Amino acid sequence: MAVDRADGRTPNQRRPVACTRGILHRAHGSASWAQGDTKVIAAVYGPKAGTRKNENPEKACIEVIWKPKTGQSGKPEREYEMVLKKTLQSICLLNVHPNTTTSIVIQVVNDDGALLPCAINAACAALVDAGIPLKHLAVAICCCMAEGGHILLDPSKIEEQKVKAFVYLVFPNSMVSVLPQGSLRLGGELMEHGIITSVTHGMMAVDDYFSCLKLGRAAAAELSDLLRSSLKLKAGNDPSKAG
Amino acid sequence: MEQRLANSLIMTVNEKKFIETALLSDLRVDGRRPFDYRKLSISFGREDGSSEVQLGNTRVMGFVTGQLVQPYRDRPNEGTLAIYTEFSPMADPSFEAGRPGESAIELGRIVDRGLRESRAVDTESLCVISGKSVWAIRIDLHIIDNGGNLVDASNVAALAALSTFRRPECTLGENGQEVIVHPPEAREPLPLIIHHLPVAVTFAFIGKENVVVIDPTHHEEAVMGGSMTATLNTNGDVCAIQKAGGEGVLQSVIMQCLRIASVKAGDITSKIKSAVESYNTERSLRKIKRHNPSPAGYKH
Repeated sequence: MAVDRADGRTPNQRRPVACTRGILHRAHGSASWAQGDTKVIAAVYGPKAGTRKNENPEKACIEVIWKPKTGQSGKPEREYEMVLKKTLQSICLLNVHPNTTTSIVIQVVNDDGALLPCAINAACAALVDAGIPLKHLAVAICCCMAEGGHILLDPSKIEEQKVKAFVYLVFPNSMVSVLPQGSLRLGGELMEHGIITSVTHGMMAVDDYFSCLKLGRAAAAELSDLLRSSLKLKAGNDPSKAG
Repeated sequence: MEQRLANSLIMTVNEKKFIETALLSDLRVDGRRPFDYRKLSISFGREDGSSEVQLGNTRVMGFVTGQLVQPYRDRPNEGTLAIYTEFSPMADPSFEAGRPGESAIELGRIVDRGLRESRAVDTESLCVISGKSVWAIRIDLHIIDNGGNLVDASNVAALAALSTFRRPECTLGENGQEVIVHPPEAREPLPLIIHHLPVAVTFAFIGKENVVVIDPTHHEEAVMGGSMTATLNTNGDVCAIQKAGGEGVLQSVIMQCLRIASVKAGDITSKIKSAVESYNTERSLRKIKRHNPSPAGYKH
């Protein structure tokens, strides 16, 4: 049964993604990520000497600053910063540069739904642009539960406000392995099926949550192929950045 | 504090001497002549009132929003205009998040003075009910990339965003006391009334021999002895001049700078106007497409 979405997409169709890296000159790494009309710019500075007061000096520290489009930074921005920090901490190799701080600054350009996944994707691309050592990439996607029990992928702001629940999911990117035994498995499950982050808003049944996970995983696998091809393309003609 | 100083631009003596010596032969490090501007490009976002300006390596975004508020007691018939400047930490490693530093406040004040005191934006047309309800226009300027000359770029971003901003149309309710704000789908939002465009032009004074350059890069800013910003419009009015400290400069040099600034202001004004015009044409084309029932195909 076809569900009518306002912009004519099918329930499983995400919005077109536009990703550009290296857009800023002063920042060590930068990226802009746009999913439909939602656009976020991320910049990375690092690693800088010293960690902040209560952080562990034996590991690298990740600092996230979230700048909203208008107005003062308030509680929602603090929450986004915390989620982003924990997500990025799990993908960065923290032991390579101990006692350093890597700052990631996120600037919201336009919010048309799925803002946090867009920011996570932008931050990941900016980290790659800066050359910060990562274990793997984080691919973020948003799924929501619409009225009739359908699951919609990548909702716009109007859709996000109308549904009763939505979830932001972050998965590791799909692995392409040269080893004969194929992808890395952890306890019998594929590595890329693990969930890095899941943030839900609203109430949904457990079965619905699992269906969202399944849809999210498939979408993340497709998105990570797109990421792989777009990151490879830029790497070939990358001039060195001075200061 | 040490962290911030450690992160700011450190220039070697050789680099400083090179910039100063090259300027004695009218050469600048990036190949420009002393009175050439860098390439200015103005683009707009999806929503009305959002602009992005790139001046060489400097990048600034401007967002304009409006809200209905109570007016000030001493000005019951006028709307208000407020400018908020954010020196984002992504623009420069020495910019800190949190409280704005003195250069951020100075920049905000220069842009504010140019717009407010020259009465560029008509505030009386922002009044809905005298003494009760007026439009408060808020301009947020985000500095994304610091390549030097943030004042000029921020000013252009503010002007471009104001020129494309549209506020919802509102009418009075039955008893004449309540205000009904119409959503953009119901009634076409209205643009602001802007009388003129005050354009800021910044000059840097480098070295001792009265060397003046226009639109300094951030390397030149680190070397300069003083700077002056002149805000002018194409009607020949000087809206504001800011020369805060720094090296003393001859009066004849100041007059020459003002003459050059009026020429540059004309160039920049025409660039802003043509960018705004193409945005408006594109916007009206988009509106026509919206009413057309489009087939189920989303452009990829």
